[in-house]
Amino acid sequence: MSGPETAAKTVKERAEEALRDDYLRQAVRFTTDRLRSARLQAAQDQGNWEAWRERGRQIRSHTIAHLDYYLHRFAENARANGAHVHFAESAEEAVRIVLAIAERKGARMVAKSKSMVTEELHLNRALEDIGVKPVETDLGEYIVQLAGETPSHIIIPSIHKNRRQTADLLSKEAGEELPTDTPSLTAFVRRRMREVFLAADIGMTGCNFAIAETGSIVVFENEGNARMVSTLPKTQITLMGMERIIPTWADLEVMATLLPRSATGQRLTVYMSGISGPRRRGDGDGPEELHIVIVDNGRSLQLGDPEFQELLNCIRCGACLNVCPVYRHIGGHAYGSTYSGPIGAVLKPAFKKNVAEWDDVADASSLCGACAEACPVKIPLHDMLVSLRRRKVEAGRAKRPEALAMKVYAAVMGGSGRLRGALRLGRLALKPLARDGVIRARIGPLAGWTRHRVFPAPAGEPFRERWANLRRELEREPASMDPAVRRRLEEALRKRKRNAETEEGGERHDG
Amino acid sequence: MTDEAYRKWLTELDAESRRKQEAFLDGLAARLGRPRVTEPPPHPFRGAPDFWKEYELSTEERIKRFIANFQAAGGHAFRLAGLEEAARFIANKAKELGVSALIRQDDALLAGLGLETLLPGVEVRVWNDDPAEDWIARAAGAGMGVVLADFAVAHTASIVTLSARGKGRSVSLLPPALAAVIPTGRLFTRLGEVLTLFDETGREGLPAGIHFISGPSRSADIENDLTIGVHGPGIAYALIVDA
Repeated sequence: MSGPETAAKTVKERAEEALRDDYLRQAVRFTTDRLRSARLQAAQDQGNWEAWRERGRQIRSHTIAHLDYYLHRFAENARANGAHVHFAESAEEAVRIVLAIAERKGARMVAKSKSMVTEELHLNRALEDIGVKPVETDLGEYIVQLAGETPSHIIIPSIHKNRRQTADLLSKEAGEELPTDTPSLTAFVRRRMREVFLAADIGMTGCNFAIAETGSIVVFENEGNARMVSTLPKTQITLMGMERIIPTWADLEVMATLLPRSATGQRLTVYMSGISGPRRRGDGDGPEELHIVIVDNGRSLQLGDPEFQELLNCIRCGACLNVCPVYRHIGGHAYGSTYSGPIGAVLKPAFKKNVAEWDDVADASSLCGACAEACPVKIPLHDMLVSLRRRKVEAGRAKRPEALAMKVYAAVMGGSGRLRGALRLGRLALKPLARDGVIRARIGPLAGWTRHRVFPAPAGEPFRERWANLRRELEREPASMDPAVRRRLEEALRKRKRNAETEEGGERHDG
Repeated sequence: MTDEAYRKWLTELDAESRRKQEAFLDGLAARLGRPRVTEPPPHPFRGAPDFWKEYELSTEERIKRFIANFQAAGGHAFRLAGLEEAARFIANKAKELGVSALIRQDDALLAGLGLETLLPGVEVRVWNDDPAEDWIARAAGAGMGVVLADFAVAHTASIVTLSARGKGRSVSLLPPALAAVIPTGRLFTRLGEVLTLFDETGREGLPAGIHFISGPSRSADIENDLTIGVHGPGIAYALIVDA
């Protein structure tokens, strides 16, 4: 994740801006609530959710552990299908390859479907710089592009834009005042995009999964724009994170069971397309030329790192964003990077080689563990966030009191297996908050808990205050832990757990 | 850039890519702390969990489940007695929607529907039956696309179409309405039953495009307000027939 990012402001400053934006906070909370409920319902409908998650983890971990083998297989098979495969170690290299193709094709317009990798590469800017017009064709991405912004949610990119703002952006593009109802706005985009699909010289897609044994790329989407850009333009370029591989089509069933359910609660996205090479001789549509650019850009730094290798298991569903109390309050832009939420908080620093480049993004988390619980491939995101903070301290990047706090944390939690217990308690504490999205009154016995910032922040404490506390804690000596206080806290949390369970009924998703 | 110069450049690019590939993959192996893996590693966790592989519905249940799930996704699904009824259904819907041009895949079963006769005054075209025609423009101008499903899946309510010379991807994508004929014998319970067929077929046998279609095109990007037909067909008919 190198490349220019909004590093001028700190996470705290961006978070404060986000907190001042009432619409943003309401919209993010409403949307994440909707997506989270849908995920829980879909998981319950599917049944045996834990077994599916475990199988997802097994397949992803197996593939990543043998990534050199499977990438080799994929590249050879994709070439045998007639595709041109490229390897890019850095963002710059990936951009250079794409621009070289666009230039030699004499391309004037690129129609893009959703691709987080192209966001990561800042490819649109690079294309514009050589006079090629990139057009985002996913409805949400198009809105965000017209606003000159970046996506704030991995699944719903325009989560932060309201209807009025959307109508204004589209009206400006239409050159006339459009009605603000969804069908009218959508109809305009449909008409406009048809011209784009038919006129574009290059279609560009991302890649959800790549099947090693047949050299196929698989794209999940709901609108049909990814199908358009991989059917109509003469040249297709697909950008693919190098970890997107799975061995076989059989393994795709597991990913297809986990991804849409975890992202939006759908049984399957409306379209799931497996593309194996360019159009065959005699075909009447499909690209004549297919390029697949396999991008590292910091991903390989996680390989062989026992604490972070599983980060490459991520299938980019966004479930961790929807349950994260921090994301739900500050939205995606506050993270200041391509990927937001818990996964972004780990990806951004983890994908950087240089410790000096780490900023405070890993601190934008309450370590409550809800992210790991929601993750369909069981990435221990909260453990990773703790590790990042530890590494930051070890590297001497944190202020001294934080170092002290980490020592206390290590002393209290070290070797006793209590950390997981504490994180679990924290998660349970968050459930009432997470259930209805309303910030409840501060819970008395938990007031002292947050003095130790490594502990889960209690639910019920308004985030604004929690954030302030987190900052204050950096600047003062950590209080020592009184065993009597701990007993009371644990008792209080057990009580809340029981209450939460009786209230929640069938909402558990591991049934 | 001339075509020939471009081809030459592309060949050089491919050669460079192959050189890069070795260094790239060597680097990954080094990171993983072992030599390159060149033999297929044992993959004990292939595919769905075992309990799921045993899940199989009867034909009647598959039909029922497909219809319920397709409708839940915003599509329209019906069980029809036979091809004749399917032909009448498609013709009636085309009239209802005021379709002036219809495009269908080049397939004997679809030809047997006799849509040309049932829809006088409607331009019925067969994908790619004339190399001189601009078929993408034809599909874009059609009000309805008619396809024969290669497979279908009850659990996810998916219509599966494989691309071929006579089976353009555009037919199921560009017209605002889609009608898919699904013979009951092609309707499976689980996604995996269809996906593993592609493993069995192997790379050489796969078409360029394999498309799972599970309802009308949709988006909720404007204030979470679900809307259909944003790019692909907003109307999707799945017609299950005993054929």
